[in-house]
Amino acid sequence: MHSSARSRYPFRPRARLERAVSAWARSRQGEDRAPLTLRSRRIYILPTRAGVVAAALLVVMFLAGLNYQNSLALLLGFLLAGFALVSMYECHATLTGLTISSARVESAFAQSHGDLQLGFYNGADSTRRSLRLRVTAVQPKFFDIAPRSACLVTLRYHALSRGRQRIDRLHLSTDAPLGLFRAWTWLHLPLEALIYPAPLRLRPMPPPTGQPRHSERERRLGGEEEFAWLRPFRESDPLRRVAWKTYARGGPLMVAHYDAPAGAQRTLNLQTLRDLPLERALSQLADWVLECERQGESYALELPDRSLPAGHGLAQRRHCLEALALYES
Amino acid sequence: MSAATLSAEVELAEPVPVPAGTQRWVLAGLLGAVLLNAHHIAAWCLPLAIAGAAWRIWAAQRPARLMRRTPRILVLVILTLAVLISFRTLNGLDAGASLLVAMMALKLMETQRIRDWQIVLGGALFLLLAACLASQTLWLVPLYAGELWLLCAGLYAVGARSSPAPARLILRAAARSLLIALPLALLLFLFFPRLTGSLWALPKEDEAITGLGDQMSPGSISELIDSDTPALRVRFDGPLPPREERYWRGPVLHQFDGYTWSRVHADLGTPPALEFAGPDYRYSVTLEPNTHGVLIALDLPRGVPTDLPTVFRTFDDQLTTGAALSSAVSYRLDSFPQHRTVESLPAPLRELDLSLPATRNPRTRELAHNLRMGSRDDHAYVQAVLGYLRDNGFEYTRTPPKLGRNSIDDLLFKTHEGFCGHYASAFAMLMRAGGLPARVVTGYLGGSWNRFGGYLLIKQSQAHAWTEVWLDDIGWLRVDPTAVIDTNQYRGDLDDAGAAIGAGATGSRIARWFAATGQAWQAVNAWWQDEFVNFNTSRQFGLLGRLGLKDRDYETLIALLALSGAAWLSLLAWRGRGLAEGKPRDALSRSWRRLERALRRSASARAPHEGPVAYGERIAGARPELAASLRVLTREYARLRYGRHYSAAEQQRFDRAVRLFTTRPPR
Repeated sequence: MHSSARSRYPFRPRARLERAVSAWARSRQGEDRAPLTLRSRRIYILPTRAGVVAAALLVVMFLAGLNYQNSLALLLGFLLAGFALVSMYECHATLTGLTISSARVESAFAQSHGDLQLGFYNGADSTRRSLRLRVTAVQPKFFDIAPRSACLVTLRYHALSRGRQRIDRLHLSTDAPLGLFRAWTWLHLPLEALIYPAPLRLRPMPPPTGQPRHSERERRLGGEEEFAWLRPFRESDPLRRVAWKTYARGGPLMVAHYDAPAGAQRTLNLQTLRDLPLERALSQLADWVLECERQGESYALELPDRSLPAGHGLAQRRHCLEALALYES
Repeated sequence: MSAATLSAEVELAEPVPVPAGTQRWVLAGLLGAVLLNAHHIAAWCLPLAIAGAAWRIWAAQRPARLMRRTPRILVLVILTLAVLISFRTLNGLDAGASLLVAMMALKLMETQRIRDWQIVLGGALFLLLAACLASQTLWLVPLYAGELWLLCAGLYAVGARSSPAPARLILRAAARSLLIALPLALLLFLFFPRLTGSLWALPKEDEAITGLGDQMSPGSISELIDSDTPALRVRFDGPLPPREERYWRGPVLHQFDGYTWSRVHADLGTPPALEFAGPDYRYSVTLEPNTHGVLIALDLPRGVPTDLPTVFRTFDDQLTTGAALSSAVSYRLDSFPQHRTVESLPAPLRELDLSLPATRNPRTRELAHNLRMGSRDDHAYVQAVLGYLRDNGFEYTRTPPKLGRNSIDDLLFKTHEGFCGHYASAFAMLMRAGGLPARVVTGYLGGSWNRFGGYLLIKQSQAHAWTEVWLDDIGWLRVDPTAVIDTNQYRGDLDDAGAAIGAGATGSRIARWFAATGQAWQAVNAWWQDEFVNFNTSRQFGLLGRLGLKDRDYETLIALLALSGAAWLSLLAWRGRGLAEGKPRDALSRSWRRLERALRRSASARAPHEGPVAYGERIAGARPELAASLRVLTREYARLRYGRHYSAAEQQRFDRAVRLFTTRPPR
């Protein structure tokens, strides 16, 4: 019902109004920088639909009490009205004084979801309940923050197209404690995500350059464990390379380190994909980067304006994908 | 992932299930609200609500076994018909509450989302309202309060969408919010302008109010029900009238068809001129609602109450508003037990008070004739009839046998037993048959003194009937024929205080304690009735007077309301700020927070990562005029806070310095 009503009216006055109000709030508040403590001047509050219905019911109760000249019914109506007002202040206080201690956005592939992390600190003596954090057009996240404690909230955002993507506005709201009022604020944090091209498999991988060598997988298949030495596990190592046998024998977590023969690498070159449209070519390059990482191979990236030397690992992957994301954008 | 699937995900409504514990909470609240209404709704409502709740608990453990739309509408139609059959209407409090219970029981069949449970809670709150409308008895008030607490806690429980909070916390939160709301509610209650009438006509409740009415047919009653319901309460300015003078006059009955006495509603002229003598009693009365609309007064008041509008005095000295009293009223009067009618009885009234049905009660007529023959004058005739009633074995009973069409004949010659109504009826008939105009007066006799409340309480069970006889030389004379039959009526009518004293002299302490407790409870009840239940516009204006305000009008009320409401709101805002910031952990933090607030207003807020000294340095850089004192203060705070130890004196010294800085900042 809701969605059909939306599509029938192209104007969507409510959305327009919200956009206008949030733009006004943006100009009023200016850019935010974490850490940031929410003050009451930037917190807005309105009754929810349930709140409006409750107000109408309260009026009915009040009229009944007045008409029957019934003192107890009148007092009940007044008490409930007071109760609702108290909840309004509690709703407002749920956001006031909340600290946003950090904000970070992770890169993502285009047309998928990326992660956004916000750190919160609640310095008050009561739990802040029913907080709701939302980026435009993505499912909101509900969370609570215990008294005098911090928490990290991860929210998915929708990565659109390759390049830089600004997340201009976060919507932080709550309808605690009763759901009769909703208090909200807009956060304009300097959040900019780098969006990698969406990986796309169109062509086979370019052959390895330099001395031909067996791929890691082929060596494995041959049953030869030809690695040169083991070194301790580091966070950035791919799990695939963990020497599980050593671990199973009761040893520490170690990583097999292969002595890659010099020149045993693939060069991923945009020039080889000249026949494809640019975006698709970049997508293919991204796919190859991922594939090389999967294979544990070393790779170099050649773009017309820059070239990245061969290497592998998380850092190489990131550098390459960033270069792809920013190429001519 | 394509754009289409993404947008579908966005459109998805968040399915937030309400935890089973919360569901049971709401169900308990709903059942409580139904129970509080059990006395006035249809009998099938309570079982229906219990069944609905039991089903919901059962269904909560199974994958959504909710009722579909069509059967739901069908059941709704059936339940509406059931209400119609029970009450023959959907209008009115009882039918409305029953319908609401039915709808809520049905709502449980489809309750799933937060909003549905909120609707159930809203329905339960309306049922609580219906219970308040149905009865405002004092002992129910704690139950109402408990129910309100439960329902408000339910609102909190349902509203906590992200994680269920423990029951203890929720109950505490609801209690706190209600307690904070209470002052506002009381202010609104005291100062909100009331209506003097009704917005829409209230449906008539056809239940009989015990006590007095427009008619009296003693022959039709086989048992007097002792009702402890208060009828009126009287506060005397001076001493109480003696027990034998406590005749509280109400509706006067003139027309007699041989069986039933009834009132005359026609206007038959102005009240007769009266001559008052002896002591007078000034008093104020609080009269409970009644159907006859007559203001009860001590026999016989002078004038009409001036503090009530639209009261007039009828030809037979009744004070009436002309309509039933739908709510309690208070008024002041001045009564003289000794009085005399100083003008003659107009012919139409004489005719009215002499008329008897021609064919009924032939033996009584004969008796009257005989007695009249043996009396030399009117006075002697009255005495003769009283003597006849005293000497012929008549007995007083509250459970008399029923009488036939010739009710007086049956009483005088067959059953020989009855209560005040029987004897007043018989005596008045004998007077009329003997040629003396007579009328039956209904009202109350006696009253019990409540020493806690300082008032005389007259209960419905003290309803009484007596007669007034016209004697040409002295006018209307009050004659209470029951007095000659049942002397116990007057001895037994020892009031509660007397009983308590008697028990004290002879009986146990426990009996005395019980009597005293009963009286105290009555007094509290009376206070509740007078000051709360019957709180109305005139009491509001009285309150303004007590507050020392000269203008007793709606404008003053609204001004007071606005002022006190604003005060409450600012207190609430102040509390909200405390909630948001958390309590300072000690006195030192409190002083520091005071400093921070002042700086936030005048300069800028401390960033969360800034320590006190860095903050002080930053502000000092921006505001050179503050620099010297501020640097000292922030360094001192850092020294105290992060040092090994600080003394109470050092803390106080810091607090004084902060106060000085915040109240008189350097320029």
